[in-house]
Amino acid sequence: MTREQPPRLTAFRITLLVFALAAIFSLPALRGSGRSLDHGANMARFLDRFWPPDFSIFPQIFPALLETLQMAVLATAFSAAVSLVIAVAAAQNISPRPVVLAARFALNVIRSIPSLIWALLAVAAFGANSLAGVIGLSIYSVGYLGKFFSDAFESVETGVAEALRATGADAIQGFQYGIWPHARPLVWSQTLWMLEYNVRSAAIVGYVGAGGIGTWLHTYQEYYQWDKFATVLLCILVVVLILDFAGSRIRRQFAA
Amino acid sequence: MRGGISMAETAQIEVRSLTLARGGRVLVEDLNLQIPRGRLVVVAGPSGAGKTSLLSCLAGLLAAECGSVIYEGRHDAPAFRRRLGLVFQHLMLTPNASARTNVLCGRLGQLPWWRTLTGFSQVDKARAGEILSEFELADCAGTPVRRLSGGERQRVAIARALIAAPEVVLADEPVSHLDTHLARAVLARLQRETRERGCTVFCILHHEEIVAEFADAVLTLKKDAPGEWHFAQKSS
Repeated sequence: MTREQPPRLTAFRITLLVFALAAIFSLPALRGSGRSLDHGANMARFLDRFWPPDFSIFPQIFPALLETLQMAVLATAFSAAVSLVIAVAAAQNISPRPVVLAARFALNVIRSIPSLIWALLAVAAFGANSLAGVIGLSIYSVGYLGKFFSDAFESVETGVAEALRATGADAIQGFQYGIWPHARPLVWSQTLWMLEYNVRSAAIVGYVGAGGIGTWLHTYQEYYQWDKFATVLLCILVVVLILDFAGSRIRRQFAA
Repeated sequence: MRGGISMAETAQIEVRSLTLARGGRVLVEDLNLQIPRGRLVVVAGPSGAGKTSLLSCLAGLLAAECGSVIYEGRHDAPAFRRRLGLVFQHLMLTPNASARTNVLCGRLGQLPWWRTLTGFSQVDKARAGEILSEFELADCAGTPVRRLSGGERQRVAIARALIAAPEVVLADEPVSHLDTHLARAVLARLQRETRERGCTVFCILHHEEIVAEFADAVLTLKKDAPGEWHFAQKSS
């Protein structure tokens, strides 16, 4: 006869319990205004103003849409280049511990500040233009790509790099030929994801004056021109869908 | 068998009173060897006898408990590493890189990082092509190593060890994945290195027939009897 064992308190169960308690504790956030409102009718009335979208503004917003893409591409390129260096410093299997701690602290600080705030700071420094958007998004992206890349490097077994170093290769060569080829597909894939993310973010940072199509979003919202607002949203949606589709196709190629 | 085992001539590699241990267990005790240039030395013995540890120590990757390894009269292991070709038991190839790039990696120790930052020279690539052809791998030069068979990977690893024309090759079971025909071809190639260039090869092998055919000397290690190693030269 076997005696039934009491359920063990695993890390997963503890996490689940803590999360459930936190959710209960957070219930007051659902309180809302406390007034009795017809939420469904309100939403329907608001969305009704979006229809039909006013496509006549397309020639006007197209340059801004292009600028948004340019901002996203440049921010991704700059951040990827900077992140590669920081990620090497933040990877435990590559760099010494003090360097790892310093690099990770810097990445945590960058990530803890939202992209909109970085854009706001950049607008204060560089003025209300797309340069501010590129700089704001670049800084924010470094926080994420630096973390992603360092995780990718850490997932690589260092045996090959050590084997190369055993026959005289230096640290850079050990990284380039022993670690980078393993991490490269992941790094490209994450960079592509960041580009998609930056297109969405670049559309928003215009709200604080950092250029791109967000500026038009802000303008149309200010003047309650929701039909035009809807056109801008549709444009962003189309661009993001195209990027998502292309991104997933390219990522599949990386994985192959 | 103890003390001053010599193969006459001037020693290229001298092992002095070497004791190796791993995990608190002594594997090899008081090993003394003097190996001149141009010899193919087979390291034999059962699993766990310390063969791989000995090769790791000769490569400077494992510290000895006591004793020393002297290369051409000097203790300068880092400088010697650049003249070393290594074939690892687990190959240690880069799976996502092509066979050619993996072979070219054998040249890294002889080139500064800025020369290899954008790849290798055409001369090096041509040399890699030649050596891959020698190992019947010309068709897979551009193929990522992850798509190669075990035997093909093993030959890529050997080609990587030889491309830099090393003075010493340390090969840990270099023919374990090869059929007898290919194993003989690979060992004949290693033997040619010893005869034509004076390269010294330390090779862990198991098949007695192959050992008898290619070895100039055999160092036999015994499990659980670290001091009872035996070194035998082949009479020419």
